[in-house]
Amino acid sequence: MCGNEALAEAAIIAGCDAYFGYPITPQNEITAYMSRRMAEEGRVFVQSESELAAINMVFGASATGKRAMTSSSSPGISLMQEGISYLAGAELPAVVVNVMRGGPGLGNIAPSQADYFQATRGGGHGDYRTIVFGPSTVQEVADCMQLAFDLADQYRMTAVVLADGFLGQMMEPVVLEKKPGRKLPPKDWALTGAKARPQNIVRSLWLPEGSLEELNHKLQAKYDRVQADEVVCEQYDTEDADVVVVAYGVAARIARSAVNKARHEGIRAGLIRPITLWPFPTEQISMAADELRIFLTVEMSNGQMVEDVKLAVNGKAPVLFHGRPGGGVPTVEEILERIRQLSIPRRVRTA
Amino acid sequence: MGNIDIAWCPGCGNFAILKALKAALAELEIEPGRLVLVSGIGQAAKIPHYLRANVFNGLHGRGLPAATAIKAANPSLTVIAESGDGDMYGEGGNHLVHTIRRNPDITNIVHDNMVYGLTKGQASPTSRLGFKTPVQVAGVLLEPFNPLAVAIALNAGFVARAFSGDAEQTKEIIKRAVLHKGYALVDILQPCVSFNKLNTYQWFKENCYYLEEAHDASDRNEAFKRSTEEGKLPLGVFYLDPGRKSFEESTVAYREDKRPLYERDVDMERLGSLIEKFKGAF
Ligand SMILES: Cc1ncc(C[n+]2csc(CCOP(=O)(O)OP(=O)(O)O)c2C)c(N)n1
Ligand code: SF4
Repeated sequence: MCGNEALAEAAIIAGCDAYFGYPITPQNEITAYMSRRMAEEGRVFVQSESELAAINMVFGASATGKRAMTSSSSPGISLMQEGISYLAGAELPAVVVNVMRGGPGLGNIAPSQADYFQATRGGGHGDYRTIVFGPSTVQEVADCMQLAFDLADQYRMTAVVLADGFLGQMMEPVVLEKKPGRKLPPKDWALTGAKARPQNIVRSLWLPEGSLEELNHKLQAKYDRVQADEVVCEQYDTEDADVVVVAYGVAARIARSAVNKARHEGIRAGLIRPITLWPFPTEQISMAADELRIFLTVEMSNGQMVEDVKLAVNGKAPVLFHGRPGGGVPTVEEILERIRQLSIPRRVRTA
Repeated sequence: MGNIDIAWCPGCGNFAILKALKAALAELEIEPGRLVLVSGIGQAAKIPHYLRANVFNGLHGRGLPAATAIKAANPSLTVIAESGDGDMYGEGGNHLVHTIRRNPDITNIVHDNMVYGLTKGQASPTSRLGFKTPVQVAGVLLEPFNPLAVAIALNAGFVARAFSGDAEQTKEIIKRAVLHKGYALVDILQPCVSFNKLNTYQWFKENCYYLEEAHDASDRNEAFKRSTEEGKLPLGVFYLDPGRKSFEESTVAYREDKRPLYERDVDMERLGSLIEKFKGAF
């Protein structure tokens, strides 16, 4: 099963009631898979006329209390940003999958991580956040999908799963099974018919003086809870590491190989791999920076997550960057060479 | 242009459209330097790259707003907006409606293969009922979009349909469309040999025919009737109203001064008085 299909099946297992999507490469397998499987399950599938329609269909379906998702690739995700902002304002859950490709503009269809800023900063207008996953194996993509639906419902937020063409097309063994879900609050806000209760209103317009500020404070309190409770991050060989590589997604797979090779050469290298990109593992990285070490952020972009790493390190240690933009993919050898260079001062020091 | 690698499948209807377009432009003696080909994204939308002309290859579905603005900024250019049915009628459907209302003097050529070609075979807005694809597994359930009927309903000044299998007529229709003052729609039926196994060359041959010589293209009701005919698809110019004012003609910028914006000097006197007006405002 390829990553795109595993992700789609995971969404079905997670109880996705409705899928809306518009064709775009490299994620067409998701739409094709969903069209077949959602019909088999008697659930809703729509090929929309555009991404704007798709995200607004998600908005509508979500308002009724059903689990709704869409998937697209970078240009299509850009078009959805207005809808995602409104979802945040209306505090509705949604799951959005972005199988990223190179940009800006039409760019190309090669794997890329250039939508990190867009995803982790909210992306659309206004003061809001989305929960963002950056899985790095097909299994993890599938696992993130289930967690994404749960967290979206729990916090009434949009959860974004960032993949890329590599992960989407990659064939890997994967176990697809229903994970024990979370205990979720009832959806008493949903538009289910107002019989025997006051009407529910879905909106993101707050005109009375001070009401929008109040909403934003409430949203922020929620985002603070997510930041405190929901960070997922892997630390690999970091305990004694002189050089700590920080990478996510496909870049982290390559970085891990480089770290292994470095260890082989006797260089103490490690890897911190954020799985949630927002909330970002700020604490974990900050703690790692208390020891004397150097950080190397590796991304398939010109440097986006590196800003979060710098904020987390907060001047306690040097943070360097190695990246390949525009669909370029860093090689193990490239990363290894950077690790070798960075490890020299410490070796000299301890000699 | 021999050194350009054309990225279409062998046998694709797009080749014939390219040939017809080139011939039409050559016969009309449109100077390449004064021609702008605007497109979105898709197989059809690659066409501007295969001609010697100015190329604006923009966003998926958004060719028409860009084309409108190019023409508005420089009415001396010949502007052709050209893309596929998914691009123009799906993603860009809203722009189609409002561009027709606005009536810029541009030609809108749509390669209508009744499928999304570039994304490998999903149903497009013009896909026929029952058309099966990897996404529309049970066949298309939606009524196909009827671009001609929509354009006529919106009173577009030139509405035609062609078939790429007839290069000569396609060329003639394109010529008339380019000469038309105001928005002109040419929907060109085009077989996609890779992803549309329903609407093949043979299918189009069997399911298309030309409007009779006697068809009165100035009769809007008749044109609408023909565009909504059940069964076989008529080809030719359905509707023609040469009398409508184009957007550029009615826009204030060109009411008194016909020169394109870039040829005009800044009116220093007016600029000065504007600056005066705002002085102290901050
Ligand atoms: C915003 C956005 N959404 C989706 C796509 C993916 N995409 C590229 S071309 C295309 C449609 C192709 O179909 P059509 O316009 O009919 O042209 P054809 O390839 O058949 O000539 C789509 C959906 C894109 N490039 N940008
Ligand atoms: S996919 Fe279809 S439309 Fe595209 S080039 Fe091939 S035959 Fe032509």
